[in-house]
Amino acid sequence: MVLSQGPDGRVAIESEGDIVDVRKAARGAAETLGFGVTDVTRIVTAASELARNVYLYASSGILQWRRLETGGKVGIELKFEDNGPGIADIEQAMKTGYSTGGGLGMGLPGAKRLMDEMELGSEVGKGTTVTVRKWLKR
Amino acid sequence: MAAENISVIKVRNILMVTVPPDPDDETISALQEQVLRAMERYEAKGLVLDISTVEALDSFFARTVAETAQMVALMGGRTVIAGMRPSVAVTATQFGLTLGNALTALDMDRALDMLDEMRRERG
Repeated sequence: MVLSQGPDGRVAIESEGDIVDVRKAARGAAETLGFGVTDVTRIVTAASELARNVYLYASSGILQWRRLETGGKVGIELKFEDNGPGIADIEQAMKTGYSTGGGLGMGLPGAKRLMDEMELGSEVGKGTTVTVRKWLKR
Repeated sequence: MAAENISVIKVRNILMVTVPPDPDDETISALQEQVLRAMERYEAKGLVLDISTVEALDSFFARTVAETAQMVALMGGRTVIAGMRPSVAVTATQFGLTLGNALTALDMDRALDMLDEMRRERG
């Protein structure tokens, strides 16, 4: 469910259908910032995977995105937060082919390759935060 | 949330499906089911999945399409994925997505030609 929209906004991830809302929101935000079609596709795909992880592992969570501007650079940041079980072994979770959720184990490493930066914070029993960023190429 | 409407069109003994631009998981799963039912009902020999309007595909989409191609193969048919956009091809490759045993073609015309040729070769 889209909670707010624009250069900054939020989407609640509570159902499978919300993954589509995340894709739409990420597309809208990335296009507004001026990303080209291939970068928009990269951002939307990464957002879809990370939203899917939230739904799959934590049942619910939230996406917050914002426009970044620093040192003459413009970019987008997407932050996925959940209060799920957390990730016990982050190093493993970042490896292609490793999954505890019956998936293909592509989500996190794949999303990292599509974006410029990724930060992963997690505490077992508390939740997980995944932040990804992509900068506009001039 | 209801799955989007999907039409499976049969021409001669080929099934053709146009995948909607931004399908949710339910729609993709429904597509798989409808395709398999149509394979049986029409005794189809091939399937063309037109993804030319699809703007982004993620791992669930890729996995379901790969699975569908394999299921169609078990039922004696070949699957051709047609019309992947350049931006989607770039992203899928960097992400590490593959479409399993499915064949690919630039557009619907070429996909139908491929299936035709294969049928002739097999006699």
